[in-house]
Amino acid sequence: MTPKPAAPAIVFRDLTLGYDRHPAVHHITGTVARGELLAVVGPNGAGKSTLLKGIIGELKPLSGSISLDGLSRRDIAYLPQVIDIDRSFPISVFDCVAMGLWRRIGAWRGVSAGDAQDIVHALDTVGLVPLAGRKVGSLSGGQFQRMLFARLLLQDAAVILLDEPFRAVDTKTVADLLALIARWHHEGRTVLAALHDMDQVRAHFPKTLLLAREVVAWGSTKDVLTAANLATSRQLTEAFDAHATVCDRDEELEREVA
Amino acid sequence: MIDTLVQPFVEFAFMRRALVGCLAISLTAPPVGVFLVLRRMSLMGDAMGHAILPGAAIGYLLAGLSLAAMSLGGFAAGLAVALAAGLVARSTVLREDASLAGFYLVSLALGVMLVSVRGSNVDLLHVLFGTVLALNDAALLLIATIATVSLATLAVIYRPLVLECFDPQFLRSVSPLSSPTHLVFLVLVVLNLVAGFQALGTLMAVGIMLLPAITARFWAEDVSGMIGVAVGCAFAASLTGLLLSYHANVPAGPAVILSCGVFYLVSMLVGVRGGLIWGFVPRKHLEA
Amino acid sequence: MRYRVYASIGLALGILLGASGAGHASDKVKAVASFSVLGDMVKNVGGDRVEVTTLVGPNGDAHVFSPTPADAASLASADIFFVNGLGFEGWMERLENASGFKGTLVVASGGVMPIAMREAEGHHGDDAKDGAEQAEADDHDSYADEATDPHAWQNLFNGKIYVTNIRDALIATDPDGKAVYEANADKYLAAIDTEDKAVSAAIAKLPPERRRIITSHDAFGYFANAYGLEIIAPEGVSTESEASAQDVAKIIRQIRKEHIPAVFLENVTDRRLLDQIAAETGAKIGGVLYSDALSEADGPAPTYLDMFRHNVGTLTAALAS
Repeated sequence: MTPKPAAPAIVFRDLTLGYDRHPAVHHITGTVARGELLAVVGPNGAGKSTLLKGIIGELKPLSGSISLDGLSRRDIAYLPQVIDIDRSFPISVFDCVAMGLWRRIGAWRGVSAGDAQDIVHALDTVGLVPLAGRKVGSLSGGQFQRMLFARLLLQDAAVILLDEPFRAVDTKTVADLLALIARWHHEGRTVLAALHDMDQVRAHFPKTLLLAREVVAWGSTKDVLTAANLATSRQLTEAFDAHATVCDRDEELEREVA
Repeated sequence: MIDTLVQPFVEFAFMRRALVGCLAISLTAPPVGVFLVLRRMSLMGDAMGHAILPGAAIGYLLAGLSLAAMSLGGFAAGLAVALAAGLVARSTVLREDASLAGFYLVSLALGVMLVSVRGSNVDLLHVLFGTVLALNDAALLLIATIATVSLATLAVIYRPLVLECFDPQFLRSVSPLSSPTHLVFLVLVVLNLVAGFQALGTLMAVGIMLLPAITARFWAEDVSGMIGVAVGCAFAASLTGLLLSYHANVPAGPAVILSCGVFYLVSMLVGVRGGLIWGFVPRKHLEA
Repeated sequence: MRYRVYASIGLALGILLGASGAGHASDKVKAVASFSVLGDMVKNVGGDRVEVTTLVGPNGDAHVFSPTPADAASLASADIFFVNGLGFEGWMERLENASGFKGTLVVASGGVMPIAMREAEGHHGDDAKDGAEQAEADDHDSYADEATDPHAWQNLFNGKIYVTNIRDALIATDPDGKAVYEANADKYLAAIDTEDKAVSAAIAKLPPERRRIITSHDAFGYFANAYGLEIIAPEGVSTESEASAQDVAKIIRQIRKEHIPAVFLENVTDRRLLDQIAAETGAKIGGVLYSDALSEADGPAPTYLDMFRHNVGTLTAALAS
């Protein structure tokens, strides 16, 4: 895999994302620099998944904007929390990973010998070559995650978003996948990962965004993950306020400026 | 023995035509059925079958037992329901199953009412039960054309369709083909039902689409395998059904579908993958 | 103000009641006939004294007819209800009960010698010998009884029996009209008689080996018996049953073996099967025969007698050549 040219930044401008007019994240402003390795952390309901969904385009902003400096949404590789995949579908590990080559082979081109080699190489990186012929339904949790990472590898994307990639996965797999993430960072790709294990974050992620429906702190991990910040993040409400009034923070801002 | 199997087709043109028609359907409907089953949309096939009937009925009301009118009407009705259901599912709180149920029920009730008000209910029964024994040249041509178009289309959308079933979110993230693929697939379902209803009637057309596909689950490991088994099963059932109708004096359409049913039950018992009987046979586990 | 509202409501009710009351003021006999052939007969006998409503209209199929609330309503206010009987109207009992009909039920085929249902291959009607026993068995209206052929009106002789029954029933209900009914009936019976002789003559003119046809609906048993025609049908007696490959094969074999010249469509069923049979055997499609229902008023068979004229004309045209 050749190192990519400079990956673009992601810019959030006063972004509000949510469901049914209730914001899951409020007024996010900030920049993700090129080639950054950023952990997105926060308590349950903080809006981490929502933010990632907003970046990939699954959710339209309720207000504000996200801009991806020159890159289209198709150039982002996204690993969601694994709910939508039909594990009983009769597809082999090899074929599933091969889908990662979509940008190259599209809907109709065949898999060439060179492509096949790349697929095997990806499987080898995650240690799944012996299982290549198995159906995905027979994989363990950890093996399944590895398979999805192999697919991500093949996508060769400039921006990679990972939503809770280590939930319910064995420690050996976690260690291997963290090494893979480090490699991506080394290759200059921009990586965002929503995580819940603070120790993991402190050990492997140089930058952190602490989210609790709004930005609590954003910067180097050391500065962000302080006891005070973590306490603040826990205080902010988890549930949607069913009787919320229309948010008037925008109007306040306008009044201040005026 | 061979004589019993072959003689009816040698002696009678209508048997040959029935066989050709059934074989064409067996080639095109089961692959679509496989995807319906894999996407857990099996009952949608049945719903679409009911949605088509009013369209065919309206076609009949306007132009009598005209192939063109009934096929067009059926196709239009099926498409309208499928598209409306898809649209509603994507833009309101309703999920796909609820929105489809809503539309096909309305369509069905409308069809029944229109026919009762305007026409005699006699020929509607023939629309329901089909006339595989009376396939004229036009009907055979229609079925053959639909089969060709359907197979070609399926070949083209195969990969996006598989991905759509397996991991739709991934497809959405790498390609704009997600919605079009879904739409084209629905069109294929409707087209095949229209072909099936010419041969077997609307009640049975769904049968030839789904039963072989369901049966294939007990034999094949992957999608292409399932398609192969489903097509083979449908061929065999067509042959069996027509021979039964000939030798045992039973209506042809239901005979074909009941043959499919028998294959299904047998497969459920002894199928290589998950047949019930293997639960009782002790087998050593593999090395790895 | 309020009393004005009450006044207008009262007025409206009064008008409505008055209008419906005016409806009942008519002194015509209200008759309901189950299907179009009977309806035509009742009109001929009843003339101006009777108002006839027909349930299964032109080109309708009484075998699969499903009564609507409107039908129940017509029946509820009727004085007399004419049905064919012999198991023709499977829905009759249900309708009677639903509508609360209090008038007279008249089975037009009373006194007719019924014949048994023919099998798909078309046997000759020797079964008519069982007539006397059959007549008792057929008094019930259950549609499940498929042993009797209900299409008795296809024999004009039976048609005369129908007319007589209708006349007597009308006289019983409306004794004042006795003279009218008898006059109408006499005229009609004479016309039927003439037609009866004409039909016999026309069929007799055909060479014997040409007096056989295939038709899709097994409704011509009585016609075949009375006038010397052989009928073979690919389906059973009702249009509800679906043909099996064996049935179709038998028909084709028979047509080929015995050189049956023509295949006739019938106005209430699917022509595609017959087209197929005709194509395979080279038999001619002879045209449309009217069996269970008359045609529309501007069609070829709008009355009972027209039906016979049309059918015979169609048959002889195809079979004579």
